[in-house]
Amino acid sequence: MLENNIKNLIENLKNNLLTIGNLDEMDGLWKKYFSNKGSIKLILKEIKELSLENKKIIAPLIQQHYKNALALFKNKEDLLKTDNLCKNLESQSEDLNYFTPKIGHLHPISRTIREMNNLFVSMGFSIMDGPEIEKDEYCFQRLNVPLDHPARDMQDTIYIKEPDYLLRTQTSSIEARTLANYKPPFKIVSPGRVYRNETVNKSNHFIFHHYQGLVVVEKTNLKDLFGIFNVLFQKMYGKDVVVRYRNKYYPEVEPGVGPDMQCFNCHGKGCSLCKGVGWIEMGGAGIIHPNVMEKAGIDTKKWMGFAFGLGLDRWVMAKYKITDIRTLLGGNLGYKYYENENII
Amino acid sequence: MKILYSQIKELIPDLEASPKEIGETLTLIGFLMDGFTEISYKGSKDYLIGLEIRQNRADCLSIIGLAREIAAYYDLQISTPEIKTITENGKQLDIKINAVDYVKRVLAIKIDGIINKESPDWLKEYLSFYDLNSINLLVDLSNYVMLLTGYPSHLIDCEKITGQVMWSLNHDFNDIITLFGTSIKLRKDTELIIRDEKNILALAGMVGGKKAAINMETKSIIAEVAIYNRSVIRKNSRDLNIVTEASHRLEKELDPTSSYYAMQLLLSLIIKYGDGHISSKLFDYYPNKNISPIIEFDTSMPSKFSGIEISENDSIKILKNLNFSIEKNGKLFFVSPPIYRTDISIPEDLVEEIIRIYGFNRIPSNEIPKLEIVQDITPKNIILAEKIRDILVALSFDEILSWPLTKNGENEFTNYTDWDIISTQNSVNDVFPNLRQSMIIGLLNQSNEYVKKNVDFINIFEIGKIFGKKNGKYTEHEALGIMSISTNTVLSEFKNKIESMIRLLGISSIKYVNASQKPKIANSNSCWDIYAGTNQIGIIYKLIPQEIKSNIYFAEINIEKVTKLLLQIKNNPVVEITQKLITLDANIELKKEESINEYLENIEKKFNKNHIWSIIIADRYILDKKIKYTIRVTYKELSDQEAKKIHLNFFELI
Repeated sequence: MLENNIKNLIENLKNNLLTIGNLDEMDGLWKKYFSNKGSIKLILKEIKELSLENKKIIAPLIQQHYKNALALFKNKEDLLKTDNLCKNLESQSEDLNYFTPKIGHLHPISRTIREMNNLFVSMGFSIMDGPEIEKDEYCFQRLNVPLDHPARDMQDTIYIKEPDYLLRTQTSSIEARTLANYKPPFKIVSPGRVYRNETVNKSNHFIFHHYQGLVVVEKTNLKDLFGIFNVLFQKMYGKDVVVRYRNKYYPEVEPGVGPDMQCFNCHGKGCSLCKGVGWIEMGGAGIIHPNVMEKAGIDTKKWMGFAFGLGLDRWVMAKYKITDIRTLLGGNLGYKYYENENII
Repeated sequence: MKILYSQIKELIPDLEASPKEIGETLTLIGFLMDGFTEISYKGSKDYLIGLEIRQNRADCLSIIGLAREIAAYYDLQISTPEIKTITENGKQLDIKINAVDYVKRVLAIKIDGIINKESPDWLKEYLSFYDLNSINLLVDLSNYVMLLTGYPSHLIDCEKITGQVMWSLNHDFNDIITLFGTSIKLRKDTELIIRDEKNILALAGMVGGKKAAINMETKSIIAEVAIYNRSVIRKNSRDLNIVTEASHRLEKELDPTSSYYAMQLLLSLIIKYGDGHISSKLFDYYPNKNISPIIEFDTSMPSKFSGIEISENDSIKILKNLNFSIEKNGKLFFVSPPIYRTDISIPEDLVEEIIRIYGFNRIPSNEIPKLEIVQDITPKNIILAEKIRDILVALSFDEILSWPLTKNGENEFTNYTDWDIISTQNSVNDVFPNLRQSMIIGLLNQSNEYVKKNVDFINIFEIGKIFGKKNGKYTEHEALGIMSISTNTVLSEFKNKIESMIRLLGISSIKYVNASQKPKIANSNSCWDIYAGTNQIGIIYKLIPQEIKSNIYFAEINIEKVTKLLLQIKNNPVVEITQKLITLDANIELKKEESINEYLENIEKKFNKNHIWSIIIADRYILDKKIKYTIRVTYKELSDQEAKKIHLNFFELI
């Protein structure tokens, strides 16, 4: 009798479970069948009323039916919970938008300076700066260029107050200040802006940039200088870069020398960029002239040094393949949204 | 300077190097080849090699000078053109040197019976390679000698002069008509001139006058070759804005002694091609004869300087090939340069001579130098500027660089300092005469360019110098300018980015105070000074409407001030959290004219900093005459009750 009753109830439960669609209804169903006053639970309670003999036979059967009923309920509840979770996750989901964020960029001159600075700092150099409004003393006289020296024609000067104050024509002025204010040994590089009285066109600007280097130690020579240049050129332009060294005149050095790089555009054949000669002039260098050292009170018997000055804009133009110097300081310089040459 | 290959071959008969090879060789030893042209000369194929001449090699502004260099490099002999010895005839010339401080040497001689005429074809053709027009035989020969020897000469028609010829400073003449017919105004007292008793005959060392110019009828001349104090030629050339082949050479340190050879060559050629005969004694004013220095030379120096072994034999051979005279006394060498090498005076000069001919390319460059370790002396502002760049790039700003020189009026519109404007005196770009006083000028110009080119997302910055004059002194400092242009960003978002940057640099006590000096370009209602503690470090403002139809925001930070502050600050952003944080709000009302910054400052003074995690303005509501703020304070290391008690007490909420 009891077994039939529980079987009927389970059939009813099965039918109820088929029609239920949410967890709230499951609560009602729980109450109806499994709570203390639920119909299935009440049948369990009726077992107590049976004789011991009947209990032994009926009780395990009823218990089994009860377990089956509970399992049916739990299965359905789990299904609904999973379903519910899925619905929740879907409603809370977020999409990635496909807008590529804008990123900022360093100016190619800053990038190049940083690349060079990093290299020199790794070789134990300090970085120095100095004023752009400079005294004639530091821009020329301490660098072995007295007033009315023909070498001044190499650097047509923009004056603030002639003849004493000018806009520096070269970052060698930082060299002169370092020599005057610090005691050797020192190794410095000094990037900076310089000014010359030139008409602005595709290859010349009246505002441009130098990258100066200065080493004063007890013992050094041109081989050291060339070794540093070699590392620098390879770092900036790769291992296949071709460089030549030729004699050049700068009053602040003796001997004077300058590195030329084989033209990146024509590979030495000659083109408009290199004015047909196949080489691009990259700067000047040399062993510091004894007059320069002596003006700074440095004992030339104990100390020796070399200096170099690079036309930074040319280095940058060669590296970033910019053909018009005006781009570097003008409205034409833009940054690509995507930096890679090839989109990967 | 150009050289003709066939002429170099004539001067160095044993030369086998090709024209290209010669150009490349000269480049390596100090004379950059800047032109190479195949031409036809005297009906044959020839080459013209263009060279850049070093400023200290006056001797190489000549064919012979460059031929000497080539001969020395290839270890060959040079054979200079044959000349006749000057045979003096007749009387001394009536010449006087008044400007003794400026004249080093004057050689002058009279030639009569000349038949002036057109130049032979070879000479006309030759001069055309140097962009010199053929005038007549005498003038052309004078130019030819200048090209060959590097010494300019000057010919005066004797029939056109009155009395004594003098080298003087100009006291009497207001102008000169040059032999090209140009009238030049003179300043008086500063120009070195050649004159007679009535007329000005030439601007010495620069250009001859029309008065005594040579023409086809000229039969009798005074030929002069003079060397001056180079400074006076340079100054006159610049002051009068005259640059000629003569001034180009004479403003350099040209050796006076070798001018005798130039005079001899000129006379030989005039007699050969224009007949004529010498009819005076040679006038030779040369009071202080040039003497070659004797330099004590240690032959180990080339090796020490180059870093490679250059033997004593190699060094001596190179110097001898360059015509240096050498004497050995014991272990010491005494070296004297040829008289025309005015650039040589110290042992280091000899080192350069040896290494440049030996070859800079023979010094290996593939060895990384082992230079000694030295102390780092990098100033902190350089490191700070690099950090700023990185932060701003991460905040989506692009870096630009602009012209520090600006147009008239731009500073007046953008300046907020008490500086006067600094102007340049002589810039060829006179549209940009003034040094900038604020970074905004370049950033705004760049933005205008970007807008014209339809570039969007204009968030840009620049680090550079700004300049001004204060109390008569020139001053400059490194500044950061930041600009943001947008139709949908508001000033507070821009300010948050600037503030994030400043905080990332290590400064957290940032305040904004109504700007004490507002630039005209700023919206005066939206312009604040930026303070770090009690130090003003910059300015932030919204621009008044510009051509660009968007909101434009600008901030400028004084990097040097920030650097100094950072050197004083000790930062430790780390804290151990052992208890839960307690956040409590307080609503306050201030009158519109009252400063929330001041209010917060006063509150902060009351707090024990050890118990404060943060104080922020959580909300703001603008009423008619007041502003309501919600101040959110987060306490640390306090119980709920302790925090509440402090909070109510401080905000006087009890």
